[in-house]
Amino acid sequence: MIAALGLLVGIVLGVVFQPDIPLWLEPYLPIAVVAALDAVFGGLRAYLDGIFDDKVFVVSFISNVVIAAAIVFLGDKLGVGGQLSTGVIVVLGIRIFSNVAAIRRHIFHA
Amino acid sequence: MPDAPTVPDRARTPLLTLITQESLDEDYQHVAEQRAAARARQGVEDHGAGGSGRRGHWVAAAVVAAFGMLVTVAAVQTSEGSGVADANRESLLHQIDQRRDQSAQLQGRILRLSERNVGLQDALNEVTDAERTTANRVDRLAAQAGYGPVRGPGIVITVDDAPNGEAVRAEDLALLANGLWAAGAEAIAINDRRLTARSAIFNSGAAINIRFTPPLSPPYVVSAIGDNKALEANLLDTSTGLAFSNAADALGFQVTTDRRDEIDLPAAELRPPHDAVMGTAEENRRPDGKETAP
Repeated sequence: MIAALGLLVGIVLGVVFQPDIPLWLEPYLPIAVVAALDAVFGGLRAYLDGIFDDKVFVVSFISNVVIAAAIVFLGDKLGVGGQLSTGVIVVLGIRIFSNVAAIRRHIFHA
Repeated sequence: MPDAPTVPDRARTPLLTLITQESLDEDYQHVAEQRAAARARQGVEDHGAGGSGRRGHWVAAAVVAAFGMLVTVAAVQTSEGSGVADANRESLLHQIDQRRDQSAQLQGRILRLSERNVGLQDALNEVTDAERTTANRVDRLAAQAGYGPVRGPGIVITVDDAPNGEAVRAEDLALLANGLWAAGAEAIAINDRRLTARSAIFNSGAAINIRFTPPLSPPYVVSAIGDNKALEANLLDTSTGLAFSNAADALGFQVTTDRRDEIDLPAAELRPPHDAVMGTAEENRRPDGKETAP
């Protein structure tokens, strides 16, 4: 409940203020969003599994975002930024899908 | 194949399978197991977990809020960026179309201008030809009318005053000139003054004048271009020629006739008509019905 409220507040804040992302940070924003999405779905699944832990969620969220951005940054420096982003998105996508599948099993029991 | 992937098995598990199996962070599992162990050790009582859990919930909510903000910002950024990109693309396409149209127009203009150029070149050639023809015609007409130099065979008649003091008068020279015209002369000059259609021979005092030229002085050399074999004989056949001959004999003028194969006659000075207007009145009528000023 609190989490849903937090999500709503975050979206409203983003819409209202529309903070400008610095240009050097712009390439890492989409990958950070996907990583955050993975952490959020993981947390949701853990919650439904009954093993949710706030500390783990916060740490996994932050580390996911930072690591994803760092990988893309490294890839950019090495000249393989696009490919590395694709790899990161594939891995995170698979995780998101299986997490969502588990969530679906919890909700619909199917 | 073992039931659960133990640590050594990680290396042998395919990557995709590993990812799928570990889609949930292991940490949740670890923490849950630790908590279960602690709970087993300390009994059912869960001290302090409520307070920290409540605070932790707020932190998690803040993180979720940050996530929502992140998603929103990314979406806004992407949509703005795509707008800009689309606009750029649209404007570029528009520019391409415009430039292509311009290029086609210019090509058409090149075509039209080169066609026009060819037409003008043809016209220029025609005009040049016409100009050359006209110049030739002008030269021919000028030679015939006395305003162009001519050369050819002919006779030279020299007339001088009589030894007894009887001076040659303008009438006598006029008779001679008329006789030569009548006898078939094509060009006449007196003392190298070319006779034209507008030449008049008259006396002013004792001196003989041809109009528009300085007075003549004896001896008077009358050069006539024509058939030099027949001209002299024909001259005596004409009434004016005969009249001159008679007058010269009667008054004692010294007349010598010389037959030449080549005579050069100069051009008369061209004096444009002052009052006469080219063409007939019918030709000069303007479209508005008024006649041109004379």
